[in-house]
Amino acid sequence: MKDICSSILRLLNKYFDQEVTPRERILVEDHLKECRSCQKSLKFMEELRSLINLQIREATQEEDLPWLWQKIERGIHLQERPTLWQFIQSWLTSSPFLKKKVWIPVVATLGSFLLISTQIFYKKIPSHPDLSVVEYVESQTHNIMVYEFDKPKVTIIWLFDVVDKDSTAS
Amino acid sequence: MNQNERGWISRCQQGDPNALKEIYNQYHKKVYQIAYGVVRQREEALDIVQEVFIKLFHSIKNFKGRSQFFTYLYRMVINTAIDHTRKIGKYPLSSLDDVGSFQPPEDIERGPEKTLLNKELRERLNRALDKLPPEQRAVLVLREVEGLSYQEMAETMGCSIGTVMSRLHYSRKKMQELLKKDLESLSEITSF
Repeated sequence: MKDICSSILRLLNKYFDQEVTPRERILVEDHLKECRSCQKSLKFMEELRSLINLQIREATQEEDLPWLWQKIERGIHLQERPTLWQFIQSWLTSSPFLKKKVWIPVVATLGSFLLISTQIFYKKIPSHPDLSVVEYVESQTHNIMVYEFDKPKVTIIWLFDVVDKDSTAS
Repeated sequence: MNQNERGWISRCQQGDPNALKEIYNQYHKKVYQIAYGVVRQREEALDIVQEVFIKLFHSIKNFKGRSQFFTYLYRMVINTAIDHTRKIGKYPLSSLDDVGSFQPPEDIERGPEKTLLNKELRERLNRALDKLPPEQRAVLVLREVEGLSYQEMAETMGCSIGTVMSRLHYSRKKMQELLKKDLESLSEITSF
């Protein structure tokens, strides 16, 4: 009998909650006729239902809670003032310019424009040519410096007079 | 959902607080009952009612009318109440004050012995309910107090009918185990 009871217990819950099919109803009612334990379980469910019902209704019937509505109303108005972050968020979500189908092409266009313009800008700046050869020759009367550039092909020769320190001092 | 309710919801979706007041007048007692049934503390339950209606005002735009409005609202209540229960989880849920406040007037006429017995039994019932997980307390309240069908409970709890049945089955079984010795006394209480 106990095995049947354990399998019927779930059906008993459904039966008690009036959620059984007509076939299940017959099955449970037939079982209940001869099972004292399931009759007790059913009786317990009824008692538990009325007790919980009674207790919760008693505990919550005390007031109409008009003061609670006032608190809710205040709460709504307080939350209605958006913080800076909420303002930014709402702007981001509501602005038509920031929808994906708008901002992706805009960003792509700006990016390509930036890339192209930088290329042009860098090309226009004359690059300082590297010195390829430097020679420095000293003599008693003159010093000579020779610079050679590859592009454009230029040779610069600097000629310095050697200053006679003794004669200058005199 | 009746015509009035549709109107309130639509106005509330446009940000009209008066429409929320209509919804509040219609549902606040049920919201309070469900919240109390799950958290089992008066002050906590009142906080939940407040929190739920404020949340509702800001999130009602998301209600598309695919489900019944009360299941949408009750789901918010259950989720908020379960969150509160987890926050206060380390403390005993039902306070003695709450237990003491529950005393039908008939008790007084039945004499002091009977009143004492009933109070003790109610305390035991409270302790037994406190031992259930909040989800199981939630299904008990939705079924035993609000009388929701399995389908409505599943929509409210955001789970399958099978899960609802299983939670109901285990909660009743657990309550029966916990109150086994008091069953006869329970009969006395409920046969007012």
